[in-house]
Parts: sequence; structure tokens; C-alpha cells
Amino acid sequence: MDLAQLTSDLQSLRATATAAASAAPDTAALDALDVEVLGKKGGITAILRSIGGLPPADRPRLGAVGNEVRAAVEGAIAEARARLSRSELAARLAAESVDVTTPGRPVRRGSLHPIMETAREIADVFAQFGFVVYEGPEVEDDVTNFQMLNIPPDHPARDLWDTLYLDMEGRLLRTHTSPGQIRVMHQEGPPIRALLPGRCFRYEAVDASHASEFFQVEGLMVDEGTSMADLKGLLDQFAHAMFGAERPTRFRPGYYPFTEPSVAFDILCVICNGEKCPACSRTGWMTILGAGMVHPTVLRYGGIDPERYQGFAFGMGVERIANLRHHVVDLRQYMEDDLRFLGVFR
Amino acid sequence: MRVPLSWLREFVDIQLTPEQLAERLTLLGMEVKSVERWGADWQNVVIGELLTVDQHPRADRLHLTTVTVGDQVLSIVCGADNIAPGQRIPVALPGAVLPGDRHIERTEKMGVVSNGMLCSGDELRLTGDADGILILPDDTPLGVPLADLYGDVVLDVDVKPNRGDALSILGLAREVAAATRAEVRQPAVAVEEGSGPSSAERFGVDVRDPDLCPRFVGRWVSGVRVGPSPDWVQMRLLAAGQRPISNVVDASNYVMLELGKPIHTFDAASVGTGPDGRPLVVVRRARDGERLETLDHVGRELTADTLVIADPDRPLAVAGVMGGANSEVSDATTDIVIESAIFDPVSIRRTAFRLGLRSEASSRFEKGQEARMARLGADRTAQLLREWAGGQIAPGRVDTMPHEPSPARVSFRPARVNRLLGTELTADEQRELLARVGVETEPASAGDRVNVALKPNLLAVVPDLSRTLTALVPTWRRDIVVESDVAEEVARVRGYELVPSVTPDTLMPGFRASPLEVRQLVRETLAGAGLTEVVTSALVSPRHVEAFALAREVPSVEGEDQPGGDPIGVTNPLSRDHSLLRRNLLGSLLDVVATNLRHGTPDIAAFEIGKGYAHTGADVREWWRLGIALTGAAGEPAWNRVTRPYDLDDAKGVLELLARRLGLPALEYEPETAEPVFHPGRTARATAGDDLLAIVGEVHPDVADAWGLRTTQRVILAEVALRGLAAGRLAPERAHAVGRFQEVDRDLAIVVPETTPAAAVEALIRAHAGALLRDLSLFDIYRGVPLAADEKSLAYRLRLGAGDRTLTDPELEAAVAGVVAALPAIGGRRRA
Repeated sequence: MDLAQLTSDLQSLRATATAAASAAPDTAALDALDVEVLGKKGGITAILRSIGGLPPADRPRLGAVGNEVRAAVEGAIAEARARLSRSELAARLAAESVDVTTPGRPVRRGSLHPIMETAREIADVFAQFGFVVYEGPEVEDDVTNFQMLNIPPDHPARDLWDTLYLDMEGRLLRTHTSPGQIRVMHQEGPPIRALLPGRCFRYEAVDASHASEFFQVEGLMVDEGTSMADLKGLLDQFAHAMFGAERPTRFRPGYYPFTEPSVAFDILCVICNGEKCPACSRTGWMTILGAGMVHPTVLRYGGIDPERYQGFAFGMGVERIANLRHHVVDLRQYMEDDLRFLGVFR
Repeated sequence: MRVPLSWLREFVDIQLTPEQLAERLTLLGMEVKSVERWGADWQNVVIGELLTVDQHPRADRLHLTTVTVGDQVLSIVCGADNIAPGQRIPVALPGAVLPGDRHIERTEKMGVVSNGMLCSGDELRLTGDADGILILPDDTPLGVPLADLYGDVVLDVDVKPNRGDALSILGLAREVAAATRAEVRQPAVAVEEGSGPSSAERFGVDVRDPDLCPRFVGRWVSGVRVGPSPDWVQMRLLAAGQRPISNVVDASNYVMLELGKPIHTFDAASVGTGPDGRPLVVVRRARDGERLETLDHVGRELTADTLVIADPDRPLAVAGVMGGANSEVSDATTDIVIESAIFDPVSIRRTAFRLGLRSEASSRFEKGQEARMARLGADRTAQLLREWAGGQIAPGRVDTMPHEPSPARVSFRPARVNRLLGTELTADEQRELLARVGVETEPASAGDRVNVALKPNLLAVVPDLSRTLTALVPTWRRDIVVESDVAEEVARVRGYELVPSVTPDTLMPGFRASPLEVRQLVRETLAGAGLTEVVTSALVSPRHVEAFALAREVPSVEGEDQPGGDPIGVTNPLSRDHSLLRRNLLGSLLDVVATNLRHGTPDIAAFEIGKGYAHTGADVREWWRLGIALTGAAGEPAWNRVTRPYDLDDAKGVLELLARRLGLPALEYEPETAEPVFHPGRTARATAGDDLLAIVGEVHPDVADAWGLRTTQRVILAEVALRGLAAGRLAPERAHAVGRFQEVDRDLAIVVPETTPAAAVEALIRAHAGALLRDLSLFDIYRGVPLAADEKSLAYRLRLGAGDRTLTDPELEAAVAGVVAALPAIGGRRRA
């Protein structure tokens, strides 16, 4: 064995190995080549095993050649491996492709009831003005539902509230959220900014625009200087929040026994924009709530001195607001709970 | 109140279009609901003059007429008998349309062509006369459309209950005058009395209950001829919505509409005589059990709180509500007693309600009547009876309160009016505004008090007289009694549109949490989990309450109203289906399921947050609940999903999701086998500490059948009591530091008898795994070979860890071994 022969063997191993690397059909062949040439029992090691038979001066030279060949073969295999894995990946990706245009796997969509959501949205608007939510009982008594609201027994204004009476002396289902005013006045005392949402009941034949169970939101504000101008400003802001900043409003006299002066609050018809259509009874306006300055008698029943304090109250039907916002024409739909109807809502 | 503009114009000049007037009245608080064109449904009806009236050649009962309508002569067949040449009559030309969408065409009647139709008042809905053709005055212009002459505009005004004074043409004329700054023409009541005995000599009046009848004015009219009213009267009454009856009855209705004063007329011959031999009208409370047949021919049993108009022997009328048949004006009547009285509003209202007889008259009486109108109404009725029925008015009247009341004094402080309204009106401006509605003002005088409120008792303050005015409120305005009433009047007359609009800048109340916080999180969580929120009726049927009663109610969380007690019923329900307040949400949700199945929606996931109601004696309880209903496919069916039906575990999963989102302890379940509503083997009581208490299970097949559910799928219902649903705050979540040291999972399959509940196995693991157990989850249940038939294998994953170190193998094995060693206690073993 001489240096030249061994060097030549290494060089030829290098040539065949690099050729084999570049010709390898897959990474498995490269793995085999790696073992065959570079492994502990591989070709390079086998050749270098003869190094002991060389003169000491030649040994480093052969070692150098061996390292060079090893590096070259390693490089060739690595290069081939990189090339092959790219094409194998490409092949795998190609094989994995799906029809991306099919619909996705549906996630069941729930929804929140439009009446509950509208009540919440109303509360959100007034919350910006410091109004906090209170709730009162639905089973009320005649005294709180009527008498303390300045509606004595046998008062003709009782015709405004057809009442469902209960089989308990003096009890009834509240016809409006207004009795909550009395409860809040006693509970808090001025200054008051309260919002009272809730379910109400009336003896009312059900049709597209009447329900015997419905939801109201009542508002109450009491302080020394709380005026009708404050009421108007607040209601204007409310109407703009719910129906758009451009929506004209109208403040006109109304009648409730528990407010004096009393107010009816209109917005320009959302269907015809004032052109006068059947939806607004050809008036061009739609009434969205009733309001007024709390009657001094009601303040007194609430334990508040009407000589010092004054305030306003307002009340609205949630269904009415929801109808106008969501273009619902038959309010029976709200309690029919057909999921095809409810599924539209957020 | 229906207001024909032609009538209104008798009392006030109107320069506005009907629509402008409607808007002005609405802005003044007299809301105009509609503006109706009276006569708009007469198309192609013109005035004609009869030229000839001959017998129809082939029909005895028909006439053949020729009619000129100015530019043409038409031959028209007519069946009426009251026609003669020279009369002016309404002619419906071919192509005309009459009320009721009746189309008139050229027709042939018994071989003769008829080119249109002569119209009766009834066919035009212009008068009540259906028998003859409407004969118009001789000077009615020929060829002019009928609508131009007799058309009217009718405003439908919604008069509020506090403004009984405006339930009349006169009252609304006052409002129009205020809105337009015009003058009201007071009604011209000129009574041309005849000679002979006076009213007071003709009959007597004995008011025995003056508390219920503070004023009675009577008049006597003799020699009337009862018959139809003049056509123009009938037209006017019809336009105002009042059916013409006879000249006598129409006169009283006319006065009621014109002045707002209900009037009753009696056939004087039917009024029995008193001790002095003259007819005597007695006003008294009825005796219990006394009977009267009212004008509608219904026998009424009266009670002691009913006020009647009577003679010495018997009742003649229910005062203010309805007359009696025994004293009704008939064709044979010649002498009339006019009753124009003031009654106690509450008494009239109660009587009208009790008898179910609410009328135009009673609705005016119950709102209170101006005392002055009693005399005016009697006079006006007498005048009309003379004009329309040819009566002789007996001189004078019977009047139990001959002195007219003076205006009420209501003092007010212009500064307080401004404080209420948020305005800066001078005292003079306020005075001027009040004057427009007839409220005169003067400086307050010593002794005047400002009435702030009348109830619960009088709150009056002694004002600074120099800054106080006193309003002299006209007698018809019974609604202005306290200072804030004056403020409304000032604002109303000036126009609410002129009230400034400002954002409140007064003191804010302190912070208060919303009671809706928890409810809101629950709603959003469930909607996010695919459930749809529903709102159902709280009033249900007795069958409903019975069918869904729980043997053991789901208790409310501590501190809230507890269920139990008796159901609350409605005494005047709209229907039996809505006659009781529900005790839980189960039935309502099953109804939602049934409804949607009927509508072809098979997959349903719904929830409601609502109340249950009950009472024990006078103690009423209302408690908040969450209800859940699931049925059909869990997960929306799709091409890329294998669908499976909702089952109990889905409902439990929803509860567990809620518990996690609300930070509640883990849910624990116990079998519930004895609730008739539920499947005995697929129902659980669930609790999460004492914060969530629920029943959740499959609907019993019997209940599903009884409720007619059209599904073979199982229906799962839950009723959940939850802390904070009524009013509660969400506590901030407490963070746990995530440890640096790895936690390790160990799986452990445990074989137990089939009857051993998983909850027992889980409890055992928790008790014996030691302090290192961080988490525990059931990930598989296996039945079958090689297990015995009555065995099951529950595979749990135990997560083990310590916060301060990585666990060693011996520690892990010790934890598992601790569990395994305890298994025999529940008849279990580790699965090899």
C-alpha cells in the first residue's frame, strides 16, 4: 500500500459516492449511501484503516485527503437530501390538496332575543347619562300600581290600563313599570337617575299591535333643578342613539295622571320619513314613548318633598322600539318564538 | 271624538287647511288620530231636478222619471214614493261609486233603461232615511257634485280623560281658538218660551241624594211632534258618528256633542204624579233588588249605590247611563221633560261598569261636568225641540242650584313654572299664554296659597305675594287645580316645541351596580354556545301548571325567593290558556319545542331567563330561573359532520360551561328517578356548590306524547337556579400563577360494577390521589370483553404536579398506588 494508491482509492470513492448521491432516487437511498460511505464500517473508514501501513510522514497527508473526501461526500449527500426532501414535500403537499371551495363545518349559531336585546340597548344609552337599572315585582298591588301614581279607584284614566287582576285581595299584574318609580324613590331619595325595565301585563286582546304581555322600560330622574328641558334633551339624545342622529323628533303634550306636564314623544316616521303613510296613520310621526314631569302627588307618595325637588319620568314599550328598529310589523312574533324568526337577530 | 269641520266652524273661524289644523291641535295636546273626508266615497253623484215622474209601464212599484242634471236629461227608474217633479235630488250617474263600494251602471229594469240612480240619504250615508229619496232644498245648485255641497272633513280627536270639557264641538273650538288666536263664538241659546204654566208649575223635582246629583235642571216642552230630524241635522249627527233616531232624541244627542252636556228626555206622560198631582221627578239611590228595563230592553237589577231618576213609584232611568223603556219618547209622545243634570262622576262610572253599559253620556259624566252646562244644556235642548219638533217651551226652568259657580283661584309662582319647564318666561308672558285658553290672572292677594299637591293631603305654601299670580280658572277647566297644572298650560299653549333641549347637568347619583350583570353573561355565554334565547308568556293554562309541576322543586339559591306555595291565578283572564302564572320554565320551553317542530324546525337549542311565581297567603314570591331545551341534531348537520342527536350530556355540558364562565365550583350530579316530567333513568339533579341548583334530564315519553311532540328525538330540558340571576355581580376572577415545573399525566382505568356511579369513582380518586392531584378527567368508558357483563371500565386521566419541583417517578407511582389501593372499597379494581 502506498499513499498514491490509497489517495487514488479515496478519490475514486469520492467520485462514485458523489455521483450516487446526485443520482439517488429518494432519501432512503441517501441514508444507505451515507452508511455505506461515511459510516463506521463505510468505505472511507475502510480505506483509512490502512493508514497504519504508511510511513509516518505520509499518514497526515492521507488523513487530510480522507477528511477532504468525507466532507465532499457529506456535502453531496446533504445537497441531494435537501433537493429530495423538497420534491418529496412537494409531492406530499400535492397529494394532500382538498377542494377548498366547499363550505366550512358550521358552528351552531345562537341568538339573543330582540326584545331582551332592545331593552339592553335602551339601558346602555341611558347608562351613558348615569341612569342605573332597578327592577320591581311583576305582581303588584293596586295602591302602588295606581293609587300612588295619582290614579285613584274609579278614576276615568283607569281606562288607559286594562288590568289583569289576581285571585289575591288588592293584587294585580303590573300594567306598567311605573310603580317602580315609587319603590325607587323610597329606596334611594334624590338625586335619582333610575331605569326600570321589565315585563308588564294588560287585559288586551292580542293582535298585530297589541299584546297582553309585553316589556317596558321606565326612566326616572329627580333632583332640585331637573326640568322639562332636561327631559327633552335626554329624549332627543336617546332618539338619536336609537334611530340615527339625523332623525327629527317632536315633543308634544300628552296625558298621564302621574306626570304634569305630560309629554308624548315622536320621531319622524321611519317608514315614510314624514311623507304620511299607513304605518304612521298618515301623520308623518310615530310616537315612541310617553313622559312628563313627575306629578307632585307622586313625589309625595315616594316620600320626596315636591316643593324642593322635581323630576321627570318616561316610559316606553320595548316592542315598539324593536319594531321600528328591526322592521317588525306583527309583535305577536316576539312571543311565538319561531326559531326562523329569532335566528335573524344577534 | 269625531268633529265635522263644518260644525266646528260655527264656533270659531278656521283659516288653516284641515291637515294644518290637525297638526296644530295635536301639538296642543288634542291629538288628531285621523282626518277623514266625509263624502269622499261619493263619486259621480251630482244634484239633479226631477222633470217628470210617471208610472213604470210594467212594474207597479217603480217609477219612470226624467231628471236634468244641468247639461243633460236622463231617464232613471226609481222605486221610492216620495218624489215629485220640481224636487232637487242627488243623482248617481252611470259610473258612480257609493259608500260600501257600490258601483252604479246603466241598467235595464223591467224593459226600461235606467241611466243612473236617485239616492236615498241612507245610500249616501248622509242621513238615516232609507225609505225615500233625499229631497234637497229647492235652491241647491243643479249639476254640482254632491261632495262639493255636502262633503265635510271630520277630525277624529283623541281627547284625554282629564279634558272632559273638550269632548264637545264647543270645547274643541276653544282649543282651536287658543291655537290660532281666534275668538270663540259662544253658542246662541235663545229660548223662545211659550205662554201657559211654567216648567216649575208643570212638574216637580225632588233630589234626595244631592251628594250624587249636585244640580238638576229641568224644562218642560209640550206639543211636540215626534218624527225624523231635518236632513241637515241627520247629516251632522252621522258625520259625528251618531245615528239619527228621532227629532227629540237627536236634539239631546246634538246638545251632547255640541256642548258636551249629556241630556235625557222623558215622555212627560209616563212620569207619575206626586202628592200635589203634578208629575214628580225623584233623584235617589235605587233600592237593592229594584228592577228597571233599560232602553236596550234588558231588565236590570239595581243596587243601592245606583243613582236613578224616578217618579214617586218606580225608577225611570239609570242616572247618567241609560234611560228606561217605561219613559221612552215614542211617536205618540207630545210632552217632554228635559233632564240636564250634574252627577257624581265616580258613581256614574261605577254604575256604567257594573251594568256593562258604557255610553257617550256616561263617559262624559264620569270625567266630570261643568255645573254651568246644566242650565245651558237644558235651554239649548228646549230650543232645538221647538225648532225641530214644533214644541212649546214652558216658561222658566226647575233648577236645584240656581247660582252659577265662580272661577276657581289657583295661585302659582312664575319662577317655579320656569324651574319646572326649564324656561325663562316673564310673568307677563305667562299671563298672556294663559289668557289664550281663557285663564285670566291677577296678582295674588293675601290669603292666597300656592297648592303644590292635593294628595295624599294638601301641600300648600304661603308664597311671596309679590312674585305670585293667581289664575282665575274658568269653570269648564276642572283639570287645573295645582301649580304644576298651570305650568303645563303655559307650556302647552306656548308650544312644547319651544321648550329648550339641554343635557342634564345636575348632580349624579353615586355608583350602583346593574342587577343584570350575571343575566347578561349567561345570555351571551349560551348564545355563543349555539342556543337561541326565547321569551315566552308568564301566564299559562292550569293544565300547564299541573303537568309541569315538580314533585321536588328546584330550590332557589340562598337569599332569594323560594318556590313552593300556591299558584297565582288571574280572575279576569283573556283565556284559560293564560290564566295562571307559571311556576317554572319547563312547560314554556316544551311549548317552544312543540311549536318549532310543527313549523318544520327539527333541531332546537333554546334558553329563557324568566320568573316563576307563587304565593302563600298574602306573601307573593317571584324567583328567577334559567330554562334550557335541546332536541334534534347536536351541531348543525353538514356534509362534513357526522350528526348525532342532542343528549343529556350536551345539556350538562352547557351547565358546566356556565359554571366555568361564572367561576363556580365543578358540577356534581345525582340521579333523579322520581319526577313525572322526566325520564327516570336519564335525569339528574345538578349542583355547583350552593351557587347553581338544577334539574336536567330527558323529557318523560309520556309527557312528550301528552304534549303532542312530533319527534322521535329525545328532548332534554333543564330548570336552573343560579346565584346572581335575580341581581348579582360578577366577582373578579382569581388568577393562579402557572407553575414553572411540568405537570405529568397518568392514565388509570378502573373497573367497577355497572351500578357504581362515575361520581363515586371520581370522589374516591380525589380522596386518595393525595395533594399532588391537579386535575382529573374521565376520557373513556368501556364495556365488553374481557370485562364481565355487569362491569364497566372508567378511564381517568390524572394530572399530577407540585408547584415547587418536578415530580419523580416514585412520587407519581405512589399517587396512583394510593388510588388503586382504595379501589376495593367501592368494589373496583385497576384494569390490567
